Amino acid sequence: MVKKTYILFIAVVLSLVFVVVSIFQNKPLPKSEITRPDQCISCHSGMSDIDHAHPKAVFGCAVCHGGNKFATDKIDAHKGIVLNPASLDHAPLFCGKCHSDIIKRVTGSMMNSQSGILNVLKYQWGESKDLNSTIGVQDIRGKINTDSMAESHFRKLCAACHVNQDPKIFQNQKIARGGGCVDCHKVTDTKGNHHATFSSVIPIQNCTKCHNRSNRIGLAYTGIFESEGYGTPYKHGKFTHKMKDGRFFYDLPSDIHHSKAGMSCIDCHSEIGVMGDGHKHFHMEEAEDVKCKDCHKPHFAPSDSLAQTLSDLNGHVPESKTIAYTLKKHAPLYHVQKLLDKAVMYRKKDGKRFDVTMMSDKPYHTLAIHKRLDCSACHAPVAPSCYGCHEVYFDKGKQFDWVAKKVTPGQWQELRSFLRFEEPSLGVGYNKKIMPFAPGCQVIGTVFKNKKVEHFHSLAMAGWDPHTTQKKSRTCVDCHFKPASLGLGRGNLDIKKGHIEFQPFYDSVKSGQPVSYPLDSFVSAKGKQFQSTSRKYARSFNKKELHKIIGAYKCIICHDTYSDPIYVDFNRSKKLFYSGKTSCFKK
Amino acid sequence: MFQKIILSLLFASVLMAQNCVQCHKKEVLGYKHNIHYTLSKAINMTREAWGVKDSNVTYQTLPQAKKDVKKPKDLVDDFLRRKCLKCHIDSKTDIKDSGIKRGLSCLACHEPHQTSGRCQRSKIAMDKCLSCHNKNYVGGDFQGLFPKDEEASYRAPLSKNGHFPQVKYGIDYHHLSQDVHFQKGMTCVSCHTSADMHEGKKISCTDCHKTLSVKNHRAYHKKLACVSCHATWNNSSYELSVFRDDMADYAKWKKLTLQEDEYLSNFLHRALNSKEKIKPVMPDWVSGGLKKGVWYSGYRYRRWEDFVLGNSDDGKIKILRPLYQYRISYRDANGTMILDDVSKTEGRKIEAWIPYTPHTIGKVAKSCERCHDNPLITDPYRGNNEILRLKVPMRLVGATPLTKEQIAKMQSKKYKMIRAKMLFEK
Repeated sequence: MVKKTYILFIAVVLSLVFVVVSIFQNKPLPKSEITRPDQCISCHSGMSDIDHAHPKAVFGCAVCHGGNKFATDKIDAHKGIVLNPASLDHAPLFCGKCHSDIIKRVTGSMMNSQSGILNVLKYQWGESKDLNSTIGVQDIRGKINTDSMAESHFRKLCAACHVNQDPKIFQNQKIARGGGCVDCHKVTDTKGNHHATFSSVIPIQNCTKCHNRSNRIGLAYTGIFESEGYGTPYKHGKFTHKMKDGRFFYDLPSDIHHSKAGMSCIDCHSEIGVMGDGHKHFHMEEAEDVKCKDCHKPHFAPSDSLAQTLSDLNGHVPESKTIAYTLKKHAPLYHVQKLLDKAVMYRKKDGKRFDVTMMSDKPYHTLAIHKRLDCSACHAPVAPSCYGCHEVYFDKGKQFDWVAKKVTPGQWQELRSFLRFEEPSLGVGYNKKIMPFAPGCQVIGTVFKNKKVEHFHSLAMAGWDPHTTQKKSRTCVDCHFKPASLGLGRGNLDIKKGHIEFQPFYDSVKSGQPVSYPLDSFVSAKGKQFQSTSRKYARSFNKKELHKIIGAYKCIICHDTYSDPIYVDFNRSKKLFYSGKTSCFKK
Repeated sequence: MFQKIILSLLFASVLMAQNCVQCHKKEVLGYKHNIHYTLSKAINMTREAWGVKDSNVTYQTLPQAKKDVKKPKDLVDDFLRRKCLKCHIDSKTDIKDSGIKRGLSCLACHEPHQTSGRCQRSKIAMDKCLSCHNKNYVGGDFQGLFPKDEEASYRAPLSKNGHFPQVKYGIDYHHLSQDVHFQKGMTCVSCHTSADMHEGKKISCTDCHKTLSVKNHRAYHKKLACVSCHATWNNSSYELSVFRDDMADYAKWKKLTLQEDEYLSNFLHRALNSKEKIKPVMPDWVSGGLKKGVWYSGYRYRRWEDFVLGNSDDGKIKILRPLYQYRISYRDANGTMILDDVSKTEGRKIEAWIPYTPHTIGKVAKSCERCHDNPLITDPYRGNNEILRLKVPMRLVGATPLTKEQIAKMQSKKYKMIRAKMLFEK
């Protein structure tokens, strides 16, 4: 008997050592270890499963939550227990047992560090000349730099949104976010014996918890546009169109991927693009993976093991031998498949099949004249644009610091001048392609400090895909002669005696703005760029480009289709015209 | 000052005839038939939009508000009396929180005689005109003023000393390009003469601008009103939700205390900051006195670059603007929604688009494309702007929509050829 106990004791000690060593080596545990039953269930017997990949019967509780799974009383059992092992502070020890690679990638990703936001903010506010820095939330934790207004602003407003934020600190729990892996993967909350459920099928609402500000991609995609705040129409004596956080909105046509196919964010944004690829990135577009062409002109290849795992996890999308891969990072799009020489997309949330429209070879896609255009330049007819963002700082006020997680001195308040959604400006984007631009951000600051009022301003425009894709493109006139689209701002554009003339409507000086150019002018008619950008290659059109684009309108007015032969070699056509060798204006 | 007050009181409309008329007979008698005095156009247009058939009343004959409300038309007189008709020279100026800074009757515009009896021959200051002709109406636009959106976060930019901008007529303003006439120092009365104001003599641009260059006023643009080309921007305020609430429910308006109505702003500030419960009351500007219920209002959105054209009844093609596209709500003191977001009555939308003369004349005329390639004009029933909801035929008052033939002409080959030639001109 004694001998048997002795052997059992040694066995237990050895297996414990093994467990500890395994944890420290960050290796997945052998199946026998995970499947060992724990005592937790003797009290929490009714607790439901979190998902089909982590059944309680196999995993028990302690694998994820820690504690002492052999103890029989509550106090002992709960020693070292972790309520949310998916928080990135705990995840390496728990989720990381099996998913260590993902935990590392997510921890190093920009959704965790918010380094993109912080550094662009510092750059725009003149506190840093380096656009490429990876300093993020993790680096400013614990040491408040009281001299940096940008950091103060970041701490009190922006930093609420990072993947590893603590969801409990939100006063309004309806807008709580963060929690590490659960920020995205949790689809229902814990309630009584119902354990929160996890899924790799991430609903849009999980993404729009954060992606609803500044460039408002998540909102615009679903057809929600932040409105001018009237709250109209009134229904039942109340405001309608109000978001959970109190902002008002109105409805515009949602992105065609949403309206036609009901696609969620994850139907485009693949695992590597979202959770990171293990490399440090400075800006969103470097971390981002997917491009329109990955589906609309797909590159098919045999399915790999990652694709099969993802497909298994998803549970709705059938497996296929031939799937699409992203061109940039060669990540599998396991739900975009080749089926009888056709490309089909299985919607991740339910496996519904859709035929993918192939990018046509019509002249509008193949002509050299438009080879510099990003897809969004033509196919995104609207973009939320918030002009004149006024940031007011009060040193006497107090506000919650989302990094230090406590109320600290200093308070920011946001005001704005006006909103538009139509005729987004165009410019040259971060990828040197022509794409829509919107204010990002036009900061006009008023600082109340030491009983004095100080002012600063930093107006910038930013280019991005507004996620308002429509099949129908913008018209020729829309881009070639509408001043707002060209980045000149709203006003009257004309060509008189060969000169481009533009009279803006908005008068910044009289309106009390600290700049002399209209808030909606990215560039002057003479090609002088008024507002900065936050990317090396991003800029407004220059003088030469403006002349070319507006000049082309002279021909477009009569030759208003892409199939018109003059566009096959437009430069040659122009030469012929100016040497009088065309039939234009001749009867 | 004392003298001024006494005179103001004396000159109430009833007495107007008896006093001023003794010397200014032509002006006073003429004025009594003037649209300025009857306000018949604005009143009847609104009443008809809200469902009153063949309305034919004036400011002076406007019925009392109905007590029993079932349809929008039962509520329109109350709405007019309390939201619109503050702007009449006879409307009561002695109501607390009114914000009115003008006299009554003739003195609404004119300075009284001096105590010596001598008249003050000063020109009427623009402020006098703007005390009514403000916000999104013609008047403010002459000075380049465009009302800002109403919610509290739109009060930017702050001034140099960190203050919010000055609120005038219940709102503060964006400054857009000013009318060239204003830039040159002209005021309202430079064009709007005594004969125009008192006797309704029509004035037009060509009274002064007698010779027009041929080149820019081609035959095919003969039907256009001058402003259709020469106005730079205009005020289009889309969809106006109005809500009469008889319940004391103010908290939700905390960020919307500016609703372009001084009385309402002052009232809401009081109600929101008071520990006692304040009853919802608002003046009847016509009969005087405070009455039950407060009217709140909010637009859907507003633009200075959008416009639509139509055939005005005077034979000219003019810019149209929505005044207004109403959505009407009414909650009684018991909390019953008598009307809940009603936007249609008598089988049609409660709206009135009217021809309009923006006073935003620029140095140069609009480019051709602003009309000829404006989808709101060339494609009005299928406009690309979903929020405008122009798909439903608009209810025009005093105008008819452009015909299909007119629209076809705007995009004809002939137009394109002429325009292309202009663009290539050196």
